[in-house]
Amino acid sequence: MVESSTEIMVDVNNLNVIFDKNHIIHDVSFKVKKGEIIGLFGISGAGKTTIIRVLTCQIEKKNWSGNVTVTNFSPDKKQNHPLILHNIGYVPQLELLNLYYELSPLANVEVFSSTYGLDTKEAKKIAQELFKILDIPSDTWNKRVKHMSGGEKKRLSMAIGLIHKPSVLFLDEPTTGVDASKRYSILSYLKKLNQKLDTTMFIITHDLEAALICDKTAILREGRMLEFDSPQNLINSLPSNGLVARFEINDLNEAKITRISEFSPVKKVLRVGNEVVEILMESFEENLPKLIQYMIERGVTVNSMSRDSASFRRFFQIRIQEEEEREKLKKNIGEA
Amino acid sequence: MSLGGLITKEFGRIKSDKRTLILLFLIPIILIFIFGLTTGVGPTKFFTAAIITMDDIPTYGDFPSNSSEYDDNFISIMQNNSTTWTLHQYFNSTDENEYISAYIACYNLLKNEIVDIFVVLPENFSESVAKKVNPILFYYIDGSDLSAISAVEVAIQEPIALFRAEADLLANFSIMVPYLEFDVPFWESQLLNYAVPLILPIIILGTTMNLTSLSIVSEGPLPRMLITPTTKRDIILSKLIANSVIMFLQSTEIFIMTSFFGLYSLGSLFYFFLALVMIGFCGICIGLFISAVSPTEQGANQMYLIMFIVIVLFSGNFLPPELISPVMQYIINVLPLSHAIPLITDITLKGLPPNLTHIAFLNLDSLIFIVLAYIIYKFKRLEV
Repeated sequence: MVESSTEIMVDVNNLNVIFDKNHIIHDVSFKVKKGEIIGLFGISGAGKTTIIRVLTCQIEKKNWSGNVTVTNFSPDKKQNHPLILHNIGYVPQLELLNLYYELSPLANVEVFSSTYGLDTKEAKKIAQELFKILDIPSDTWNKRVKHMSGGEKKRLSMAIGLIHKPSVLFLDEPTTGVDASKRYSILSYLKKLNQKLDTTMFIITHDLEAALICDKTAILREGRMLEFDSPQNLINSLPSNGLVARFEINDLNEAKITRISEFSPVKKVLRVGNEVVEILMESFEENLPKLIQYMIERGVTVNSMSRDSASFRRFFQIRIQEEEEREKLKKNIGEA
Repeated sequence: MSLGGLITKEFGRIKSDKRTLILLFLIPIILIFIFGLTTGVGPTKFFTAAIITMDDIPTYGDFPSNSSEYDDNFISIMQNNSTTWTLHQYFNSTDENEYISAYIACYNLLKNEIVDIFVVLPENFSESVAKKVNPILFYYIDGSDLSAISAVEVAIQEPIALFRAEADLLANFSIMVPYLEFDVPFWESQLLNYAVPLILPIIILGTTMNLTSLSIVSEGPLPRMLITPTTKRDIILSKLIANSVIMFLQSTEIFIMTSFFGLYSLGSLFYFFLALVMIGFCGICIGLFISAVSPTEQGANQMYLIMFIVIVLFSGNFLPPELISPVMQYIINVLPLSHAIPLITDITLKGLPPNLTHIAFLNLDSLIFIVLAYIIYKFKRLEV
């Protein structure tokens, strides 16, 4: 992990976004230091893209409130927009929105670098460096983009976003629509770029594997930020620092899950397969044998058992589930 | 998904595309409405004439010059009694020299479209009427204005009928029509040269509109470009400039090709080229407007087609403008081809300098459309 500096690149305090009486973002606050990779996670409609749109000057000030600075400039002033846009890069989800397919990669570089006032020679030099880091084959540099493979287009899109050496790079769903093996390679390319260029990166995604390269992760749900911390800290906040007992149970059903949940040290039972549950509990080492005993006594047949550390995916699942349960409860109380 | 589900989905999509629905259902209504106004309820056009009378030149010794009064009657009818004609000016020629200067003056009036025809009453006009033999009447008409010829030929029958009634003349007139076509020499390509004023503006306007009508709406990375220091003004301006260069090349090509295949222009070739460029520029501005206002490529294609048909149909060359209501005539008068076609005609077939009114309207159209394109694009919500 890169040692982060203390320089704040993005500072968001009490951000609220309202469109036609629809409150989209509620009091979101966070700070991002130089060189950090931030992952904004959440299911569709969580408000990830809206936050990025505020930070990239795409939403008019009349629709949002709060104190926001990006590279020390606030997007609330129109005159700051060119300064902010000069300091940031953007990689959209679809390459179609970022690349001119009828042009070559180098011609694309020329188009975008010219918008930042970069000299063509200098831009080509930077592009070639980026192309090398991103393993874009040199024989494709002068061919039309439409002849490139999907992965090459994705990497070219990243290179275009970085062509002017921005302080902050925003990436919208960089791994969406990419098969599993390539997802990891894209994430590793991003990490490589982050390490070589010290660029702060903002990744909007619902691909939870992206947390692997993130220094900090934000979990959003219905416009509210539920968590903002490093993935490990979040996992450690789970009972017993995120230690998980995984059981394969015969004829697993809701009644059996409820029975397991009734064992007092158990904090969470997650059904993760047809006959598999993962259990989080207080004082893991001490209570695990007791739990097994408890399950046997209550006729819950365990076929196999293993222990593991919770992943960020599991933390996300637990956190979202908790929030849903809390809301359900609130609704029930309200109705009563 | 079943076929029913697919059909339902299609209905849902069509329903959500309000613009397509408007184009699909509103445009036919508008066109029917416009055509409805053309069926005989339009105002009668007043034609304008000049007259040269040579009647005061005596032809026979036994017919005193002071007896030549019928030319005055004819002039008076044209001036006061005719419901379709306005007399712009008349010339009394008493000798050959006066006739020549009157003819030149009338020729210029016709050429500059101040009059629709000029009538020549010959030396023996009153004599023929007095002797009840069929009098001869010459009228000169602008043969380059195809749409006006038939209308003028019908309209001239009215003052003749009035005159015959007043003079109690049973014999009909012999009408001589030496068309002044400002015509193309026989050795030049007749088809090309008569087609040029009509076809060229249509082609240039159509192709330049087509060139730009998809330029904004079909460009995927444009919204992303706005997350760079690029402004919307830059985008419109760059498109205007780049497309103008292409259009300039197109105009040059057209100019060279028409010259190569025998363009005969009475007027300046520079003016001709300038007119081509102005027409092309107007097409680019209209195309950019279409592209800025359309939410989808399909919408832009539909709008292009509709606008082009309307511009061509109401250029004054396909539907006689005099048959259309005055309100619609104002609208037609603003359309680019209503000015582009006469502009080219004036230069190539009549050898006139470019008409400033046509130039002003053509450039006004360009200005209006490009300003509208910019304003619409500026306020268009674009998200990546």
